[in-house]
Amino acid sequence: MAVPYSQLEWVGLHNYAILFQQATFRTALVNVFLYSLANLIIILPLALLLGMFLYQSTIRGKNTLRTVLFVPYMIPTVAVAIVWGYLYEPQYGPLNQILGWLHIPPQNWLGSVNEAMLSLVILNVWQTLGYYVVMVVAGLTEIPQEYYEAASIDGASWFQQQLYVTLPLLNRSLAFVFVILTINTLQIFDPVYVLTQGSPVNSTDVVAYQMYVTAFNYGQAGLASAMAMVLLAVVLFLSLLQLRLFRTI
Amino acid sequence: MIHVYMKRSNNLRIRLRLSSQMLQYLIMIALICVMLFPFFWLVASSLKAPNELGAVPPIWWSAHPDISSYITVFQVVPFARALLNSTIVTVSSTVGILVTSIMAGYVFAKHNFRGKNFIFICVLATMMVPQFIMLIPLYRMMNAFNLTNSYPGLILPNLANGFGIFLMRQFIAGIPNDLLEAAQIDGASEWTILWRVVVPLLRPAAAALILFAFVFQWNNFLWPLSIVYSQDMSTVVLSLNGLRTYTSSITFTNIVMAGTAIGILPSVILTLWVQKYFIEGISITGIKG
Repeated sequence: MAVPYSQLEWVGLHNYAILFQQATFRTALVNVFLYSLANLIIILPLALLLGMFLYQSTIRGKNTLRTVLFVPYMIPTVAVAIVWGYLYEPQYGPLNQILGWLHIPPQNWLGSVNEAMLSLVILNVWQTLGYYVVMVVAGLTEIPQEYYEAASIDGASWFQQQLYVTLPLLNRSLAFVFVILTINTLQIFDPVYVLTQGSPVNSTDVVAYQMYVTAFNYGQAGLASAMAMVLLAVVLFLSLLQLRLFRTI
Repeated sequence: MIHVYMKRSNNLRIRLRLSSQMLQYLIMIALICVMLFPFFWLVASSLKAPNELGAVPPIWWSAHPDISSYITVFQVVPFARALLNSTIVTVSSTVGILVTSIMAGYVFAKHNFRGKNFIFICVLATMMVPQFIMLIPLYRMMNAFNLTNSYPGLILPNLANGFGIFLMRQFIAGIPNDLLEAAQIDGASEWTILWRVVVPLLRPAAAALILFAFVFQWNNFLWPLSIVYSQDMSTVVLSLNGLRTYTSSITFTNIVMAGTAIGILPSVILTLWVQKYFIEGISITGIKG
């Protein structure tokens, strides 16, 4: 890793050529893409519903809910990973016990090829949902109240008001949530490093983790930098694409 | 007849509203329970005895809660040293970010010079660059300066950031020019105007920035992991990671959980104390920007 500059050689695109021949790197790209997609599918609707719930509901104590949703976002991801690693523990953890009460057979969670990635997604949803809810609430407060009054005078039901007033006017905030969520999830590193190290059988191997190991464990800074550049290209391409899509809707 | 009908429909409406409120309370309480459960499990496990940790099915609350794990954690790893390291690194970079953000934000908001917009766009662009992109070049840089495994190595790369400059520029732009001109006429220098006139007006923004910077530094994992290689330079988050691999047996989990509980405490307290400012910060930079 710490080879002096004088000993570094110009290799052109050689590192990229090696990279795309590696099946493990393609796996890591696919994994991180699926991880990001799963987070989008779960967090986006949940953040929208909870944001509307927090903004419109008249019940008392909803600020407590907002705080409780927001706190996990502010604590170290390493700490979150440690606690969830224990919750997921197949034998001693409480999650399988709770599943047992519901007559669902125990799961292998982080130890299973099929469930490990989903377990990391659930961890991330728990930790970051509150942040996206706050962004949705901020967007909702910007919508003038008169629009709702006008809609209800015209006889629009609550559901119609949400569909034809809230959603179109929330477009900008949702685009923002979409882009930030994509950028953040494509960079997943901490939970993978702490909990799975890419196992079982590469099922949770992601680009940032592979890059770190390539640079600091194998000492191949050039190859690792090529990985970082590919991930940056993916992040930029997806963010621009999403911004474009939202503008045309 | 009509009167009776109306009364009945009113009763129905009230009942509907009540049941809808009940439903909302139920949803809220269920969500709060789901969100708090990991915190409950964290604290409950830190108080369990080793034989209770190995119980199948798991025991939810210890028969004899025991806080000795909160002392043991300081004996198995240099956790006190890690707390000190984290405090030094976090406080220095937070102060650094605050000073650089206020100064740069003031210039971008209230001064005009050639190329200003281009430089400001460059600053904004740094916000889009993910942390992992800078990891290898930064590491090589710190290595060349012989700063790996040291406080400057941990602090220097975090002394300024685009988000802070952007946040401060947005706030300072809202301060009326008349106020600054009045100070100028009274003979105040640029330096005096900035620290005596502008800064006192920035309290809410500064609070938001301090808290974001503090929490980000305290929670940071990737950079310390890359640059620190001896235990005496470990930050709290690094120690937690080390603690987890060190005590891999289930019977030591109470120690890991005690360390984790201590490690998250500063972030939790800060968030509860001033979450209003955090949320304002997100709203300002996120939506109005």
